[in-house]
Amino acid sequence: MKNKTKFGALLLLSASIMLSGCSVTTKNDAAESPKPSEGTEPVVDSSPADIELLGMSSNEADINIIRDQLTKNGFNVKLNVQADYGSFKSQQDAGNFDIALSSWTTVTGNPDYAVRSLFKTGGDYSILADADIDALIDAAGAQTPAEYTETYKQFEQQLVFDKAYIAPLYNSLKAQAFNQEVLNKDSVRISKSRSLPWEALDFKDTAKRAKDALVLQSTIPTLTSLDPIKGNDGSINIINTNMYVRLVNLTDDDKITSDGSLSYNHAIAEGNSDYYFILRDNINFAQIKNKLAVDTGERVGADDVIFSLDRAKDKNSVPDHRTFTLHEHISKIELVTDTASLDSVKVTGGSDSVKAALEKGLSAPISALVSDKTQASSKDGKYQVVKLTTTEPFPQVLNYLAHQSAGIVSKKQVESINTYDVAKFDVNKDIPYGDQNTVTEGNAYNNTLYTSGPYILSSKNDYEAIFYKNPAYFKGTDNEPKINNIKIRFIKDADSSLSALRSGEIHLYYGVSETKYDVVKSDSKLTLQTIPSNAVSYLLFNTKNRPVATSADLRKAVLYSINQDEFLAYYGGNKFKAVSTLSPLVDTGLELKADSAKVKEFLAAYNASK
Amino acid sequence: MTNPSITKQEVQFRLKSSQEYGQASFSGIVSLALAIVLLLNSYVPSTGAFKPAVLIASLAYFVFTLLQFGVWALIRRDLIRSGAIKRSTRSLGYVLLLSLLSANIFIATSAFQLVKVKKSAAYTLAAYAWLTTVLVFAVSALNLFKPYVANGFLTGMFLLIVAAVLQLAALLLIARHADKAVLPRWMWAVAAVLLLTSVSGNLFALFLGLLLISKLRDKGHTSGSKLGEVVERLSRSSTSMLGLLFILFLLTLSITSYLTFDYGMAIANNYSLILQSPNLAYPLGTDNFGRDLFSRIVFGARISLVVGLMSTFIPVVIGGVLGAISGYYGRHTDNVIMRALDILYAIPGILLAIAIIAAFGASTVNLILALSIGAIPTYARTMRANVMLVSTLEYVQAARAFGASDSAILFKHIVPNSIAPMIVKSTLTIGTAVISTSSLSYLGLGVEPHIPEWGNILKLGSAYLETHAYTAIYPGLAIIALVLSFNFLGDGLRDALDPKLD
Repeated sequence: MKNKTKFGALLLLSASIMLSGCSVTTKNDAAESPKPSEGTEPVVDSSPADIELLGMSSNEADINIIRDQLTKNGFNVKLNVQADYGSFKSQQDAGNFDIALSSWTTVTGNPDYAVRSLFKTGGDYSILADADIDALIDAAGAQTPAEYTETYKQFEQQLVFDKAYIAPLYNSLKAQAFNQEVLNKDSVRISKSRSLPWEALDFKDTAKRAKDALVLQSTIPTLTSLDPIKGNDGSINIINTNMYVRLVNLTDDDKITSDGSLSYNHAIAEGNSDYYFILRDNINFAQIKNKLAVDTGERVGADDVIFSLDRAKDKNSVPDHRTFTLHEHISKIELVTDTASLDSVKVTGGSDSVKAALEKGLSAPISALVSDKTQASSKDGKYQVVKLTTTEPFPQVLNYLAHQSAGIVSKKQVESINTYDVAKFDVNKDIPYGDQNTVTEGNAYNNTLYTSGPYILSSKNDYEAIFYKNPAYFKGTDNEPKINNIKIRFIKDADSSLSALRSGEIHLYYGVSETKYDVVKSDSKLTLQTIPSNAVSYLLFNTKNRPVATSADLRKAVLYSINQDEFLAYYGGNKFKAVSTLSPLVDTGLELKADSAKVKEFLAAYNASK
Repeated sequence: MTNPSITKQEVQFRLKSSQEYGQASFSGIVSLALAIVLLLNSYVPSTGAFKPAVLIASLAYFVFTLLQFGVWALIRRDLIRSGAIKRSTRSLGYVLLLSLLSANIFIATSAFQLVKVKKSAAYTLAAYAWLTTVLVFAVSALNLFKPYVANGFLTGMFLLIVAAVLQLAALLLIARHADKAVLPRWMWAVAAVLLLTSVSGNLFALFLGLLLISKLRDKGHTSGSKLGEVVERLSRSSTSMLGLLFILFLLTLSITSYLTFDYGMAIANNYSLILQSPNLAYPLGTDNFGRDLFSRIVFGARISLVVGLMSTFIPVVIGGVLGAISGYYGRHTDNVIMRALDILYAIPGILLAIAIIAAFGASTVNLILALSIGAIPTYARTMRANVMLVSTLEYVQAARAFGASDSAILFKHIVPNSIAPMIVKSTLTIGTAVISTSSLSYLGLGVEPHIPEWGNILKLGSAYLETHAYTAIYPGLAIIALVLSFNFLGDGLRDALDPKLD
């Protein structure tokens, strides 16, 4: 009896599994049916190529997407994931990669900057050496926006499609979230390229201005340098933008403006080589005394402008000059004292004289041009005017002047601090202007900053940096800083930063990641601001000692493996397609489309050439 | 209801000495807790409605919990009245066995114990072996709801069902015949079949096969094998048997997943399925790359178990040998070995692991080495202490008097008698190794980020804790359950191997 039941059970069970077997789709069945979602079939007639992908652990999601796409297209992907930018950079410099996950933000908002230092032979960040690419960059730089679109299209065709030096991934949004219960919603600006202007920020409760500190956030407690020309990275861009005033600024949508800058007006003379700036008289340098900001009484004038821009373009003005290539088009910067010389020059594309253009909107017309900055007085019509001459016609120079590295420093102060000989600079002995150790709490603290911008750094440690407003900056105008005290809290981890914002520990968090938008939106006390930015992520191919350096076929195989739609899907549509670092600035009409047929073709060609 | 003729102490003693009574109350309480958790989970606060599937599961749990508590009351009454459980009460265990259909292993395991009056080690092992296979089959069968299954799925499932049927047959045969003093000769065939089914990773079947063989060879001359005694003692503790069940379930699942699970689902991104809530096709949901969390956790078990077991096994062997040598020879040998190990002991384990991985790169082999090296000194210390104790015993003196060599004395007489505390200690530290693996992966120092490892899965999920909590909860639960299982098993083993209870 029992045996019979057992046998019956066995029969029943086998029957059921066989029946279910008939309706089950196995992986091979699924792959045979023409489903596009299934892309893991082995690559025919091309053996897999090894690819080493270098990236930072903060970009783990992108790394995983790239790995997945390359693997599905028949590559053996080896990951080289580094914990921070420092180790990433040293791996990159050592050449331990085939493709490096890189990103670039064009903070000046002009296309030339988006390509010059990245792709031109000898550029600051360039590992390329291609004469055709160089020629196109130079040609486009001299052209007006109407003309350069076609040139940049050729450039992108060469850089991405013909030679595949980079494989573009996406263009990002810029996002910041702030506590709307603390901050006045209308005072928080978000700009495409420009760093957040602190002078505009205001509390919801204006009574808090004098006593309460506004707390911002940054990830990097090590500040490269507080001398604007000696750094161009995430640790100091926002800080130096708010500590030093410039000749011009960018609007939120990347137009050149004189609003909130050192000049009342600027004018471009006929020929696009001469640029004139008429200076304000209501900004003094601030300095720190007993850890508080005081007015030095020294006006920011033409001599400081000339000094600052001269040292910005001169590679040898300081050791570790990081920004001279941005200003290599400046040929000469000089003081104009002859009013008649302004009258005789016409502005570009118009019939007005430069003088008329500079006088536009001023309460008192130019009665005299003075050489001594202390004599300048706007209400009496006594102004200072500086003239900048470029090496060739180059209208984009104004964008570079809006960059933090063109911030105006005090001639008197910097010269009194930087007394060392640049050629024999000894990092152990000489203390340059803006050295972060001079503002770090401890024995080395000796704050010698003279700042022309709305705020000045009083002191910092690994936990936070404390800023005070410049008491003599645009006093009595709309541009006068509202909040007396701003703190930057250093929080390395993105999730911790968001928690700090939500708990009220910080008031504004710049750089919210796409995957956290939902969290921010669902929190009633937070406001999320987003704007398309100039940040582009791309894969940079190694140009030395690797197969990808010599084989364009292999590079193109990687290029056509990249599917930007999948990136967009992963980020919930909060990214945009890109072709190169130019994409957010110039619409060339080109687009990268993933194509696994082309990948096979190029891989086969690569294998044949081996 | 109480019998006035017996004292309160007697009642207490009867209840406490009954295995079934303790197991019934334990499984009833755990089952009730699970039923409540399911009920709470089925409620959707936003709409005020209940999720039907979860609600049904919860109701099933409640029904069996009520039954279990009823049986518990009957057992209590029987024990107080007569000091033994009635046949009618025991037969209710068959009803409780149906709880297996609702995946309620807590009630099912206690029911297995209830239906049999005289429980031999063989019976317990057979029941657990069958349970394990059935559970693995059920869990693997969930793959049927997926758009497609692995190529080996049908083969794998067929083999599993064959194993389940064979093990069920073995269970029935053993229930009937294993109590006899001399086993019938055809038990050899049963043992061989069981050994064959243990290829799936079902170690219960392996132990059972070995137990049967030793009993067959013994032919009733001795009272029973050591393994049988240990299993019998271990099976008295519900928690440690459940722990062992979960561990062997995972082990079997990891091995059978080579056939029944598709690795592509766990590792290939699918952008049309990003962050799906748990459903039939994706029982634990999908992660932010559209990968199936269920498959990822199953494949993650493989890494967690391999790393956990290997990084315990290596220091047990190395530390054991070093400790045995230094304990046996003493004097200078002892001094040199132990002082060197003391230096290693002074370095914090996790820091040493981080340093090794930072220096040699993140890979599974390096991870195992990094976790192993730091654990050597503690094992050496344990072994040394045991060896020093055992080497003074008379039988060691006797062996020495017979002129046995040092190595023969050490490895034939001393080490086998000092190994029990090492086994207990190692079970307890496997849990720690699993946690360390996950912690290192969480910190980005373990295996590569896309590899399904529990720490990696948890790390990705933690970013979505607020919006898609399941991405973090399930891997977290898996880690907790495995570590807890090893700890329970270690506890049970300590009691089972304790010579003082002999």
